Amino acid sequence: MSAARKLLPWVALLVVVTGALVVGAAGRPDSSAAGRTRRIASELRCPVCQGLSVADSPSSTARAMVADIRRRVDAGESDAAIRQAYVNTYSEQILLQPKGSGFGALVWALPVAVLVLSVGGLGLAFRRWRRRPVLSPTEADRRLVEQALADAHEET
Amino acid sequence: MRAALGSSGLVMGAFAAVLGVLTTALGLARRDRRIMNTGRQFTYVVLAGALIAAGAMEWALLSHDFSLAYVVKNHARATPLLYTVAALWGALEGSILLWALVLAGYLAFTARKFRSRAGDPLVAWALLVGLVVATFFFALMLGPANPFKVVSGVVPQDGLGPNPLLQNHPLMAIHPPMLYLGYVGFTIPFCFAVAALVTGRVGEGWLLETRRATLVAWAFLTAGIVLGAWWSYEVLGWGGYWAWDPVENASFIPWLTATAFLHSVVVQERRGMLRVWNLSLILATFCLTILGTFLTRSGVVNSVHAFTESDIGAWLLVFLGAAAVTGLGLIAWRGDRLRTPGRIDSPISREGAFLANNLLFAGFAFVVLLGTVFPLLAEALRGQQLSVGEPYFDRMTVPIGIALLFFMAVAPALPWRAASGDVLRRRLAGPAWAGALTMAGVAAAGARGVAQVAAFGLAAFALAGIVRVFAVGLAARRRADGGGWFHALAATVAGNRRLYGGLVVHAGVVVVAVALAASMGYTTKREAHLATGERTALAGYHFTYLGAVDHDTGQKRTVKARILVERGGRRLGVYAPALSIFPNSAQAIGTPSVRTGPLRDVYLTLVSSPDETGRITLGVQVGPLVVWLWIGGGIMLLGTAVAAWPGRRAGRRAQRVEVSTRPSPPPAEERLEEAPV
Repeated sequence: MSAARKLLPWVALLVVVTGALVVGAAGRPDSSAAGRTRRIASELRCPVCQGLSVADSPSSTARAMVADIRRRVDAGESDAAIRQAYVNTYSEQILLQPKGSGFGALVWALPVAVLVLSVGGLGLAFRRWRRRPVLSPTEADRRLVEQALADAHEET
Repeated sequence: MRAALGSSGLVMGAFAAVLGVLTTALGLARRDRRIMNTGRQFTYVVLAGALIAAGAMEWALLSHDFSLAYVVKNHARATPLLYTVAALWGALEGSILLWALVLAGYLAFTARKFRSRAGDPLVAWALLVGLVVATFFFALMLGPANPFKVVSGVVPQDGLGPNPLLQNHPLMAIHPPMLYLGYVGFTIPFCFAVAALVTGRVGEGWLLETRRATLVAWAFLTAGIVLGAWWSYEVLGWGGYWAWDPVENASFIPWLTATAFLHSVVVQERRGMLRVWNLSLILATFCLTILGTFLTRSGVVNSVHAFTESDIGAWLLVFLGAAAVTGLGLIAWRGDRLRTPGRIDSPISREGAFLANNLLFAGFAFVVLLGTVFPLLAEALRGQQLSVGEPYFDRMTVPIGIALLFFMAVAPALPWRAASGDVLRRRLAGPAWAGALTMAGVAAAGARGVAQVAAFGLAAFALAGIVRVFAVGLAARRRADGGGWFHALAATVAGNRRLYGGLVVHAGVVVVAVALAASMGYTTKREAHLATGERTALAGYHFTYLGAVDHDTGQKRTVKARILVERGGRRLGVYAPALSIFPNSAQAIGTPSVRTGPLRDVYLTLVSSPDETGRITLGVQVGPLVVWLWIGGGIMLLGTAVAAWPGRRAGRRAQRVEVSTRPSPPPAEERLEEAPV
């Protein structure tokens, strides 16, 4: 079998997977008033709860906020304007995910930095492993083994 | 009387722990086996002290001894028996007592297990470290978190009762002990890791000693987390099971590092590599359990679990710092012995997959940790108030989860060292096509969301891979032995329980992943104001409000709304979501009513009880496959039990030899595959 022949089934597999994912991604975000309300509410923190979003919280405060968001959506305000109105009232603490600017940006940037560093580090390690011949024990290694054997002997 | 008994238990435990440390240290210094053995036996006295203290507390709770401040705060005469017993871990001081008890139990068990090796410095050092940790927790209880504090002035006639959320569901009685058995269990591998570093015996010996301890702790932590999610779902009434609450995260982060360890440890056993990494993971897991306790118990974060403010925070931070510095210092000191000459030949190999898996688990742990402590950091460093919640965690962790699912599907099929194209094709093509066709199928059937489609497909890929390994093993066994399928299955699993147990755990993860993807993606919910006789509909279900019922037990006053649930004209039953008022809390506590089904759960909440016009607000939610989260958790535990059950090692070895002398043994490369547990 030629190399191309061998690759063919994998290419077909990739095509099927990509196709399925594209179809899966085709669902547009729900732009109905209810959908927008729910999305905005899920990004705001319920001020009287412990870590729940306004959308999830069963508290009366959160339900009043959902009603208010719905009123604003129906009045034609944009998503960003509604969010900003809540930030103005409650400070940035109302947002369940920090903005991508200022100190809050670190919470987004640090994981990316760690990812890049660790993948880079792993790549370097593989390169070093590939270059380095399989080692034979050095004099220091032999001393270590002798020492360990002597230790073990002593213990028993 | 009970206070005196409990306090004497604490003093006894503390003294025994200190004496045990000193004696063991003396024994180690003099290399005297008998002294070390005496030090070992102090662990039994520590356990006795902890048992006396915990027993005294339970006795005080059961006999309504309101002279104890803890009993007044966490118990009332009307509290039912189950929640009375569970009040031991319902608040700060009691939960530290439970911690000390569990730790003492693990230490005594370890001391007994290694009784024939009392003179081995590795064992002596491990017990010494464990006794130091025990000393710390007993000191906490004699200092800032004394559970046996006596009330000043007149002894009250009745107590306040437990936090309403903690006396609302029987799961409360088992979730915390499970979690603690897991959390505290990681102390044992930590002790052995430190002992290995101190004695310089950093080879694979300490790993083998602690392998089962790590697995047992991991299994308990898994059970604790799943039960916690279930409790959250059944009790909190917001319809979800995981809110990325700081304390949920605090239990999840060490689970992630421990899971990474369970995988990377196989590489060390097999190839002698990744020693520093494995030691670091064990160290990190232990430190993260202490950090979790700090987050939960010091009041620095707001959460359902965070008990009242207390000054044990500073103690825990100092202890955490000491543990981390000691561990890192020891690793640096032993750096020369930890270097290994091995190398990973190819990224496309079992080792390579384990590395990727570890990178992902570590990254996962880092993201969750960062998101959890970030608001604290922002406030401490910048005076800025920020929130980090579900949208952040979902966005960051879903891609990691999907990548993990991919490696879980691929890794068990990869051979060690390097994979040839032919091996890959033979082992992976079938499962990969099962996954791809599943993706195409669910997308064609209308499933939307890239994460969902990918998760379903990868789940099928992983499951098909698991079935393939079982099938290969079974076929080989039947060729060798003949006999029925059931017999062959039992013999196959018994022949390599780590491999097959690990694969069963993976199957549980597959089930959990599918349930997570479905319930996160396709849950619908709504609220309706209903007068008696009115109805509302959601996702093909109809809900009719039949009327409300009041109920007063003394423990609580409850309003139940009776809701008739129908689907397609068929009556499914009457469900009764409720709101309860507890005497010690102004806020009404909702109790959802859940109709659990194999395909979907119907989740009803009473948002507000009948108003002046007799209307209620009813919350309804239809969520697919939720029950499979708990079933998947159960499968994971089953697999862990298969892998970790104390077995007949000698018998297993004999069986292997027997198999290999049969005329047609199974292909070697397939037979000896090792599982990641």
